[in-house]
Amino acid sequence: MDKFKIFLIPFISVVFGILVLMLAVFAINSIPIFQREGLAIYTENVWIASETPEEERYGILAAIYGTLYTSLIAVLIVLPISIGFSIFVVDFVPERLKEAFIIPTDIMAGMPTILFGIWGIFLLAPFLSGIADFLYNTCSFIPLFSYYNPTGFSYLTAGVLLAIMVLPFASSLIREAYRAIPVVYREAAYSLGLTRFEVAKILLGYIKPAILAATLLAFGRAVGETVAVSLVIGNAFNINPSLFAPGYTISSLIANQFGNAFVYEYMPSALFSAGLALFAIGLVVNIVGLLVLRRWTYA
Amino acid sequence: MKGQVAMVIAVALACLFLGCMAQESGESKVGEVQKPVKIYGSGASFPAPQIENWIYEFSKANPNILIEYASKGSGAGINDFKQNLVHFACTDPPAKESEWREFQKLGNPIQFPFIVGAVVVVYNLPVEDLKLDGATIARIFMGEIEYWDDEAIRSLNPGANLPHEKIIVIHRSDSSGTTEIFTNYLSIVSEEFKKKVGAGKLVEWPVDKLGRGFGGKGNEGVSAMLKQTPYSIAYVELAYAIHEKLRTASIRNADGYFVRANAETIASAMAASSSFVPDPREGYREDPKMFLNAKGKDSYPIVAFSHVLLWESYPTKEEAEAIKKFWKWVLTEGEKHLVEGYVAVPDEIAKLSLKAVENIRGD
Repeated sequence: MDKFKIFLIPFISVVFGILVLMLAVFAINSIPIFQREGLAIYTENVWIASETPEEERYGILAAIYGTLYTSLIAVLIVLPISIGFSIFVVDFVPERLKEAFIIPTDIMAGMPTILFGIWGIFLLAPFLSGIADFLYNTCSFIPLFSYYNPTGFSYLTAGVLLAIMVLPFASSLIREAYRAIPVVYREAAYSLGLTRFEVAKILLGYIKPAILAATLLAFGRAVGETVAVSLVIGNAFNINPSLFAPGYTISSLIANQFGNAFVYEYMPSALFSAGLALFAIGLVVNIVGLLVLRRWTYA
Repeated sequence: MKGQVAMVIAVALACLFLGCMAQESGESKVGEVQKPVKIYGSGASFPAPQIENWIYEFSKANPNILIEYASKGSGAGINDFKQNLVHFACTDPPAKESEWREFQKLGNPIQFPFIVGAVVVVYNLPVEDLKLDGATIARIFMGEIEYWDDEAIRSLNPGANLPHEKIIVIHRSDSSGTTEIFTNYLSIVSEEFKKKVGAGKLVEWPVDKLGRGFGGKGNEGVSAMLKQTPYSIAYVELAYAIHEKLRTASIRNADGYFVRANAETIASAMAASSSFVPDPREGYREDPKMFLNAKGKDSYPIVAFSHVLLWESYPTKEEAEAIKKFWKWVLTEGEKHLVEGYVAVPDEIAKLSLKAVENIRGD
């Protein structure tokens, strides 16, 4: 074998080794809870911590639900905003001013998440709570608005906060892809006499894979976000269709409970199995993404 | 452009470097004799502000001993202690017998109370002095009392302008010693609470299922929620309520008087109860409920100790001496440096603990 290849082997094995080791640690530590409850840990919504191990019972369905729900809210908010933002920056902003529009989003990407969390508690939650109150009072017959929650800590607040946090990542991916479309396409489209809106629509068709990648990245980051979310989600074992209900996400569950988990016999194991669920969600999202991408490449 | 950036970085690095040099030379003047000993502790968040203050005061006199305390919860502290990651650990409720047996596999643990605190009921309501009794608090936290102008609350507060608004109950979402003390108290004063909810670091609040109960992470999470939610009620540590300027309720004590938590009413509760504290070498035998619902006219009913776990012997002599010095200082000088909201342990208990600390040695 090529010497250079041999030289590279350690680096490759470190990357894979870390992943495998992490998975192994999570899997091994999850064994006690699987032996005790089986898959019920993922299909039930209970959280009974007791200092007598016989009475302990854990099920993280509410946290899985909350993770998917809040991330979905985030992605639904982020996609239109970042696509609109990209078109605006690339098509309409003069070349000299572009940086001025791009830099703020880059700064947002680098901000510590706790700042978003505190901002969420003191600004976003009260603001959204006002809107939630209004919607609850006027249209509580719609399941989405059917939960009375005066605190403002809810799926919606967490979702909006997540959207703000992942916006820089999603928008920079889409923006760069949109900017990289060869000028000839753009010129060709304009030469046919299309309006700017029609041109943008056609060009967006070219960057579908980038938009999908941005969606996945946004979703992935939203799923894993911990500190900020645990400050605004309300931390309740709820499975509720309403946007205004308080809930849990897997990450916020681990952040909330891990500190004192070792007081109990099975809680650490339950939290490790929750981590395993996060791994699984990440894996499924990525596989779906790859499958969709492949369909586009061959189509 | 690049050159300029490099210049700025170089200047910044130079400043840092010079700063370190200056600091080092300064330190060497103070501590010429020995190099500093590092002591690590972790555990309960409740005594953390007090411990930080003690460490600050202590290190003024003892610059050679560096102490670090990580506040991450009683359970985490016990776990760190068990894995020998820290020299001492703080826990609100005393370590249980099962935990004690595990410690004994590693060495001889000692445990003693070092500070007294209280859990207070705080509320967000335009009423100055809200009066409550144990049974009513239990019914509020179970969700049985729905409105602020309920007969049970009105009869305790004649003349108060109670609004017809739903009560929003806020509790801790993470497992905590505060919750354990509070639920222990409610289980003593309400048979129904004991049956339906029970006591523990983490319990299931029935009021959550009614849609009026919400969880906040840590004292800070709870108080942030309380401040933003009109007509809400919650429980936090006294020191926290003082710091955050929250309205605290007067609670009816065992003798029927309404009492607010402060240094005097906490001290009165301790004086009034049979404060049996076991030998520090058998710390697990302590009853965490002994100060709850204490008798006496001025006794505040929700009072509890916070404890520290130490080893009887440490691997090196320096560590053992440093730990001894710090905890001796806490037990003797500590009460001169109390943060508002905390009360020192009674003298007899401090003496008993002091004796145990004296016996700490290094191998």
